[in-house]
Amino acid sequence: MESDRRVGDLVRELVCHLQNNPSSPHPNPNSDHVNYAIRILSSRMTPFILPDEAAIANSIKSRLAKQAKLSDALSFADIYSRFASKTGPGSVTNKRSLLYLLKVISEDRNSNPNLQSHRTFSPSVISDGCYSSPRLKNGGVLTISRAPISLRNTAFRDFATLVKGENDVSEEDLVTDVLSVCQGIEGRYVKFDEYVISDSMKLSKATKIMIQKLCELGLLFRKVNRYICDNMVQDVGIVAKAFCIGLQDEVLEYHKLLAVLQSESVNPKGNLSLRRLAVWFVEPTVKMRQMGALVDSCKDLKGGAMAGAIHLQAQHGDPLFHDFMKRLLLKVCCPLFEIVRGWVMEGDLQDLYSEFFVLEQSVKPECLWREGYQISYLMLPSFISKSLANRILRTGKSINFLKVCCEDHSWADLATEATSISPTRGGLGYGETNALESLVTEAEYRIDKHLMHTIFSRYKFKDHCLAIKRFILLGQGDFVQYLMEIVGPVLSEPAKTISLLHLSGLLEKAIRSSSAQYDDRDILDRLKVKMMPHGIKDRGWDVFSLDYDTRVPLNTVFTESVMGSYLRIFSFLWKIRRVEHAVLGVWKAMKPNLTSSHFFTKLPKAVRLKIVLTSRKCQVLWDEMNNFITSLQAYIMFEVLEVTWSKFCNEMEAAKDLDYLIAAHDKYLVTIVEKSLLGENSETLYKSLLMLFDVILRFTSVADRLCEFKTRNTESKTKEAKTSKSKGSETDPWLNEGRKAVTQRASEFLGVMGQDLDSVSKEYSSVLKGFISQLPMQQHVDLKFLMFRIDFTEFYSLAT
Amino acid sequence: MDQDSARTASESLELVFQMSNILDTGLDRHTLSVLIALCDLGLNPEALAAVVKEFRRNPPVTSSTSVN
Repeated sequence: MESDRRVGDLVRELVCHLQNNPSSPHPNPNSDHVNYAIRILSSRMTPFILPDEAAIANSIKSRLAKQAKLSDALSFADIYSRFASKTGPGSVTNKRSLLYLLKVISEDRNSNPNLQSHRTFSPSVISDGCYSSPRLKNGGVLTISRAPISLRNTAFRDFATLVKGENDVSEEDLVTDVLSVCQGIEGRYVKFDEYVISDSMKLSKATKIMIQKLCELGLLFRKVNRYICDNMVQDVGIVAKAFCIGLQDEVLEYHKLLAVLQSESVNPKGNLSLRRLAVWFVEPTVKMRQMGALVDSCKDLKGGAMAGAIHLQAQHGDPLFHDFMKRLLLKVCCPLFEIVRGWVMEGDLQDLYSEFFVLEQSVKPECLWREGYQISYLMLPSFISKSLANRILRTGKSINFLKVCCEDHSWADLATEATSISPTRGGLGYGETNALESLVTEAEYRIDKHLMHTIFSRYKFKDHCLAIKRFILLGQGDFVQYLMEIVGPVLSEPAKTISLLHLSGLLEKAIRSSSAQYDDRDILDRLKVKMMPHGIKDRGWDVFSLDYDTRVPLNTVFTESVMGSYLRIFSFLWKIRRVEHAVLGVWKAMKPNLTSSHFFTKLPKAVRLKIVLTSRKCQVLWDEMNNFITSLQAYIMFEVLEVTWSKFCNEMEAAKDLDYLIAAHDKYLVTIVEKSLLGENSETLYKSLLMLFDVILRFTSVADRLCEFKTRNTESKTKEAKTSKSKGSETDPWLNEGRKAVTQRASEFLGVMGQDLDSVSKEYSSVLKGFISQLPMQQHVDLKFLMFRIDFTEFYSLAT
Repeated sequence: MDQDSARTASESLELVFQMSNILDTGLDRHTLSVLIALCDLGLNPEALAAVVKEFRRNPPVTSSTSVN
């Protein structure tokens, strides 16, 4: 009864509340209604089977979820769990039926939309920590104050559902799309044109931007992939191929990562979102970006230029990046270093696509050293310095030189020796410039030593140089003297009457009569006479020349132009010799001897005086000229030729390789040319010198005439003495004629002589003055010595 | 009732109220408390739900239909 009463009261109260609208509080319950209610209640007093409490809760939850009220479902679940945990006095014991009740009521209400009230907003925050959930229709941010961890989780879940609600496409689909794009395949939603999702899909702007960023990786990947595919097929050179292989390795790593990510994305438990993907993609994007930049910069390059460009890009501080570039560069430079090794060790240039910085041209053996191989600075990678490249070039060149010109094959042993000492194949790579340098140094040292040894001992370089000096540069005095004596009269003829054969015979004779006959036959064989092309008026003196024949391999040093310079010097020296010889001839003639003095005493006094005067003039002039010629000759012989020769000998001893030797020899020649007034700076001086020589030669002819005059009568005198016994007294008209006639003729003759001598002397002194005045203006310091020799008393300078 | 049970009771009521809010039943606290009591007493929830439905469906006609 008690409970019945209670029930009755409660029912009354229920009815009372139910029939109330919120406006009118607390009227009395209508008894009719109460009765009605009781009737309903009693009609169904029979209990029936209710499902389990948890089942009811779950069904409520799923119903809520189906209605797309996910947040409601979650919060319901939360509240229910808390509710269910409340046990003990004061709690609801029959939770099951309560839940059922609520469920039914809410179902009923939902099916009747009229009765659905506007949801009331109750933002009350109760002190023991419940949260409020504002329900704004457009989705928004949940406000949480002092929320524990679980609240935060639920907040995140709410946000996720919010975001999902906005997008037509689910996150997983987008992730798979992005992953396939990054492998180069078109995704379902993302197309290749612009890597954006078409606007027909409803997506939040944030998502679109995120997708665009992630697809940059796909773009870069496609670029790199295209480059690799293009280049693997064509013939673009080994360095490019190596570069592609390096890129391929990196792309393989990238594919591995993408495979892992893809397996993550299809795994339902793995939660791979676009954001997570963004984090995963950071490192590959950096690498791919760099590879893209490399691909762009190397598009048109090949060989060493490509390696150099990649090396420049590798100068970076970030250690990760540095390692990546180093791996790539190791692969790229591997073929280059192989070529270097082959070149340096064996002189073999296996360069089908001309990627190496040593260019080969096929030339004749004598030009092999100078023109056969060159460095192409275009193909020189930036991590090999120019000096190192020069050394590499020289080493390979030396091997080839030995092979071709010297026909020497023993260098192969040296190569194997060098490989045994220098680091092994593995150590030679990018970054190991030390290893490369040491390899090159070793090889270079051995090869150069061998080459020098061959040149000096087998080909007797030094001996040939000395021979050239002795013969072409007129170092062998006795030979030159004799040659001059026998060849001199022949050369005075006009050029076209002289035969080469005749001159060659004379040359042989000269050699045999000098100490040069004991020389090596090989050397003497190379010495020949050369007749230069001549015009009508040339005399033998103008066309005569000696030549020295050099053969391979020595004609790398003694090239055509070098021999040309030698011949120029020879002709100059020969001219000086000729003048000297003429002057000496005059001296010989001027020697006072018994016969001339005999004649002298016979002549009348006036004539004698005149003769004395003219002779004196002649002698004075001769003396000047002789002094000049001797000083010039001495200067040339000692200060020019000997000094430069000794310097060159020193350098020859010190020469370590052929380039050095060639340079030293060229320097030797150039110095000689400059110092002996044959250079370009001294052209005017040279011309005045030649004029001087002409003057001197004229003098010699005049002096010859005078001396002939002095001595001619003696001959006739002796003849007379001989024939005086015979009756035919053929006397010289000079003596037989009367005194007067003699005087007259003599004075005439001597007057002419005197005039000639005067003119010669004047010309001589003027030209000499000009010559001497020009000397100080010369650049070369040694010409001052010449001036000193000629003019040490400053006689000429004072006279100006 | 002591303090604890009172607190428990009020908390439970609060939770139920929130649940009913989620489910959009439109019941206020007082009605809910009555319903809870009735349920606890063992009344059939189906019947209670029917009562609620009836009284909601048609705003009760008082005088015209007097049922005996």
